Amino acid sequence: MAALWGAFIGVVISVGASAALFWGTHRLFALVERRWAIVAAVSGAIVGAAAGALLSGIRSGPESEPLLAGSQLVWILGGAAVGGLAGTVAGLRWPLSAARIGAVQSRLRALTFVGPAMLFVALGLIIPLLRTIYLSLFDKRGTDFRGLANYGEIFTNAQSLDLSGWSGIFGSQLFYGAVVLFALMAAIALYRGRRRGVRADFSPGTVGIGLGAGLLLSFAVFASLRGTVMNNLWWVVAVTFLSTALGLLAAVIADRVKRESLAKSLIFLPMAISFVGAGIIWRFMYIARPPQKNQTGLLNALWVWFGTLRPSSGGAWAAVAVLAAVTVLLAGLCAFGVRRRQTAIAVGSATAAIPLLWLIYRFVGPGVGGSVAGPNDEPIAGTILFVQESPYNNVWLMVVLIWIQTGFAMVILSAAIKAVPADLIEAARVDGADERQVFFQVTLPTIVPTITVVMTAMIVLVMKVFDIVRVMTNGNFGTQVIANEMWQRSFTEFNLGLGSALAVVLFLGVVPVMGLNIRRMQRGE
Amino acid sequence: MRDHSKRRTRLRGARLLAIALAFGLIAAACGSDDDEDAAATTAAAAPATTAAAPATTEGADSLEGTKVTVFGPESSDEEAGALRDALDHFAAQTGIEITYTGARDAADQINAQAAGGNPPDIFIFPQPGKLADFARDGHLVALPADVIAAMNEHWTPAWTAFGDVDGTQYGIPNKSDLKSLVWYKPALFESKGYSVPGTWDELKALSAEMIANGDTPFCIGIESGPATGWTFTDWVEDLMLRFHTPEDYDAWVAGELAFSSDEVSGVFTEVLDLWNTPGMVFAAGGSIAATPFGDNGQPLVDNDCMMHRQASFYAAFIPEGTVFADGSADAVDTFYFPSVRGDQPVLGAGTLVGAFRDAPEVWEVMKYFGSSEYAEVRQRAQTERKGGGLSGFLSAATNQDPSVYQPLEQSFLSILQNADVVRFDGSDLMPAEVGAGTFWTEGTAVVNGDKTVAEATAAIDDSWPQ
Amino acid sequence: MSSTVTRSDGAAPGAPRPGGRARDPAGRGSDRLGAVIYRFLRSIPAWVLWLMVIIWSVPTGSLFLNSFRHRDDQRASGWWTSFTEGNWTLENYSDVLSSGQQTGGLWQALLNSFAIAIPATIIPIAIAALAAYAFAWIPFRGREWLFIGTVSLLALPNQVALLPLLQMFAGGAHWTIPGTETVLTLFPDFSLAGTATAVWLTHTAFALPFAIFLLHNYISTLPGELFEAARIDGADHFTIFWRIVVPLSVPALAAFAIFQFLWTWNDYLIALTMLGAAGENYPATIKIASMAGEFGLREHLLSAGAFVQAGVPMLVFFFLQRFFVRGLLAGSVKS
Repeated sequence: MAALWGAFIGVVISVGASAALFWGTHRLFALVERRWAIVAAVSGAIVGAAAGALLSGIRSGPESEPLLAGSQLVWILGGAAVGGLAGTVAGLRWPLSAARIGAVQSRLRALTFVGPAMLFVALGLIIPLLRTIYLSLFDKRGTDFRGLANYGEIFTNAQSLDLSGWSGIFGSQLFYGAVVLFALMAAIALYRGRRRGVRADFSPGTVGIGLGAGLLLSFAVFASLRGTVMNNLWWVVAVTFLSTALGLLAAVIADRVKRESLAKSLIFLPMAISFVGAGIIWRFMYIARPPQKNQTGLLNALWVWFGTLRPSSGGAWAAVAVLAAVTVLLAGLCAFGVRRRQTAIAVGSATAAIPLLWLIYRFVGPGVGGSVAGPNDEPIAGTILFVQESPYNNVWLMVVLIWIQTGFAMVILSAAIKAVPADLIEAARVDGADERQVFFQVTLPTIVPTITVVMTAMIVLVMKVFDIVRVMTNGNFGTQVIANEMWQRSFTEFNLGLGSALAVVLFLGVVPVMGLNIRRMQRGE
Repeated sequence: MRDHSKRRTRLRGARLLAIALAFGLIAAACGSDDDEDAAATTAAAAPATTAAAPATTEGADSLEGTKVTVFGPESSDEEAGALRDALDHFAAQTGIEITYTGARDAADQINAQAAGGNPPDIFIFPQPGKLADFARDGHLVALPADVIAAMNEHWTPAWTAFGDVDGTQYGIPNKSDLKSLVWYKPALFESKGYSVPGTWDELKALSAEMIANGDTPFCIGIESGPATGWTFTDWVEDLMLRFHTPEDYDAWVAGELAFSSDEVSGVFTEVLDLWNTPGMVFAAGGSIAATPFGDNGQPLVDNDCMMHRQASFYAAFIPEGTVFADGSADAVDTFYFPSVRGDQPVLGAGTLVGAFRDAPEVWEVMKYFGSSEYAEVRQRAQTERKGGGLSGFLSAATNQDPSVYQPLEQSFLSILQNADVVRFDGSDLMPAEVGAGTFWTEGTAVVNGDKTVAEATAAIDDSWPQ
Repeated sequence: MSSTVTRSDGAAPGAPRPGGRARDPAGRGSDRLGAVIYRFLRSIPAWVLWLMVIIWSVPTGSLFLNSFRHRDDQRASGWWTSFTEGNWTLENYSDVLSSGQQTGGLWQALLNSFAIAIPATIIPIAIAALAAYAFAWIPFRGREWLFIGTVSLLALPNQVALLPLLQMFAGGAHWTIPGTETVLTLFPDFSLAGTATAVWLTHTAFALPFAIFLLHNYISTLPGELFEAARIDGADHFTIFWRIVVPLSVPALAAFAIFQFLWTWNDYLIALTMLGAAGENYPATIKIASMAGEFGLREHLLSAGAFVQAGVPMLVFFFLQRFFVRGLLAGSVKS
């Protein structure tokens, strides 16, 4: 219980100190206005006393006497007297004009609001930042100056940046998938544009297709260009985009379903679990076991179970029958959409049918899931080593962070959606907008600043990703990221120079993104 | 506010003004902080040199009420609990208040604690290489002569040498592990007609025979969280000691024999050839690199594999309820990891204690850590906490009462104490960049098939600090 | 804006259709089928959400079920087999809760977690809300750059700030004036290293950039007319802040409070660095992670430990979720 009392006292002191600061300055302003000479005299005395204390301490060497004679107390009192006198004279000689009082007051008022935060920021972040920049120019233990050698070491290292696999981009299926989707987006936009008499018209759906294509393209690029820096960028692109998109989806839908708080709580649950817990959870999800053993991980168990549905086995035919039935229903829906001239329904159901057709093909033909033919053509389980098989093991690690961060995006976006003024939405409804239109034309534009905030925060957070990689692979199997490397360098090896340089690289990599976003946000206001 | 009397307003105003100014001053002062504070702090925390008169350690009863903090990586209820029991035993004798704190990441944390000016009085170093780093950086206090004398009563030079940094003694051995062991089931070997191999070639022949019979020879897994790969380095070290001379081993550990040399890369290849032989390895996690090293006990008990090479402390990882070396059908036993050249080299490991503060009570506790009394008390406590099984603790201190150890543990001790050649786990002796860095990560990469031996060994050599 | 709503579904423009698309645009029959299909289509989002909820819950659920199984069962078979075998046990939980008795046990560690997380949540919110208000509504010179500078510090990896802060807490911060022997004590040596205070002070500093960023975004979108009206009535900044800004910012404050509480409650690294060997002050994260032992001997306890650890943040979330209310601004401003 002592600990709790300590915490309680801490809160009381901090809050009390802030309140005292507030009221103190509040009174000070009143005093500045009415008793300027007294304020000037007291300030002068304090400055004088401090100067006296400093002067009396000056020595020429460690053991020598102070250069200035006289006891310290005399110097302090003398300084206070001189300063106080000067302050009084100055206060009486130059009384403040009302305009200047106003200017001083407004600046001081801002200071009282910003001051406590700046104090913490200066002590806790700026000084460490300066120290890190300073140390990054030195060797392991911070003793010998090395100039920019640490930075050179980072960027010349093939572990950091390995672009040799660039040609692999054009050989990957992801790349062709992206090209197809881009073409689809362009075709729809041009078609819609022609109907409306403009060159191209982008509906939210078309933009969505384009974003998906961009994501596929980025995966194709990052799977071919390797190295720590590329891994970091891959994390930033994939996790930021997917977490925000999924969080927005959840927030929007949850806003209009029954049991909203249950749904949101369950999606939020991963945020409440510590990184140690998350590491254990996903170890259980991804674990693989030898083929002759039971799978203990859910994903491999499902994968192997699908593998047992060999082509032309009863299970496979059952699966095909179910899939076919769903496909028929989708075809009907598509026809319905075409008849009612509802393009969204027609295109949506047709798109949904594509993976089903592909699954049917797999069930009839090559088979689905993990299974290899044994010596007597019996199925043997084939497992996926989610965490060990590079480069897509990176994606499986990202899944963990997406799983966690979707709750983060959802909560903030949900708060923003709730804050959209109800009368704005009501007005749109009165004007005849349906739910989708209300969302795309009222809600979405209103929460765009919040989406920017979420994405910016996410970029920064993901750029610094550390815990998951450390817990799951510690950078092995081609999953190294900058923050984990920094940790290994500075704490495991205690190489302060290189560790600090990595931190600076990480910092400088994110600052432009931040600055740009903030400026745009402020200009948008 | 205007209703208040002028006088009260002024008084209160003055008081608040004082508070505000005090805050302003603190803010201004903190704002102009500078890097030199780091230097100042380090200087303040700079340890006494050996030149300082060694603290007298006579008259322990005068230490009543003094406090000593001990920090280390052992943190489970069994290990940390037994360690605390042993320290409590000493505290009851001397009146020193000793607190032990165990944290899983203590080995990483101690860097920050020492540099941050907040070190414990005593740290239990899991690796001698780390102890040497701290000694050279001036964080540790060299042992006074009487502490060294007390330590020498219980430890042979083979073990105390690991606490010797450039000719000055900084560390005292605290715990010992025997690494050159293979766990197996004697009854199963007998029923299948296998015999314990005496040489490396016999081991390979036995493995081939097992594969031909449809048995899987080895359980191997090298996953261990942030320390993934250390199991591989153990194999390499054990074989380095066997294929080459102890002198070569020492040169390799000291950085004079490169990883890319024929000697070392040859051993890498030898290990990988064995592991990559089809049918050789049962990997409980799907592949060697994916299998947690602790998950190899279950398949050994289940007969999924015949052998598992791992250190003496692995007893703790073998599933509960397993019996050890009592001749019954399911008993698990060990044999000595066979040698190549006919000598009997032993790979050992263990932890060492080093002191950050020069005070009589600290030296009393240090002496106790190096005594056979500590080993006995701790072993008894740990066995009890384990429910009577193998404790996982082992100490090579001499003059211990052998009855505190079970028969299998006694056999480990006799191997450790009677070996011709004892060498410490090489990765623990190397600089952290290699021993807790690239040797693990590059080793994992070759095992996972991501790199060739030549690429990996070259990368390790590159990372060796100049 | 609401008057410019246009149709974006590609259908021919027509009269406004209150009630959405349920009406057959061609005015033909088969309305019954159409209504069913439309109702189905409109329920798709809800299905998507619940599917997402299931996918998001499965990993946690797996661990939850595994936490009721013996170590050897966890390693030998999947949790789903226990539905048929029924080999559940509470042993892991009793082990976790009874672990570390020599050093106060898990209850002490949970109290320590509160002692860190409560101040580390309340104090940054108070400080950051003030700063965010100033950055949004009090004009002063250099405001934009100070704001960008502060928020940019979000990009600083926290790990690099740990060591300097530890030095400051352990020995204070001192500066020798060049050329003299005068040592200025910039931050006195309060012997904070190893105390909960050091941990929450660190959390406070690290939390501020994000807190200011998040709260500024929210506070800056509050309608300025409200403040104008208040100022005309003679209110100063402090009154405006306390009477108008804080009540209107409740959702943003609650959102930040949730995250900050979770992060500090689940933090491992900052606490371990600031506490060092002061094991009696360890929060539950360190205690639980350490239960597994140096080589993960008792790693199976981590599953039960994770849920013991997650219980409190879940309660906090359920409690604070009530503050995400729609229409807090409704009626307060003319649109």
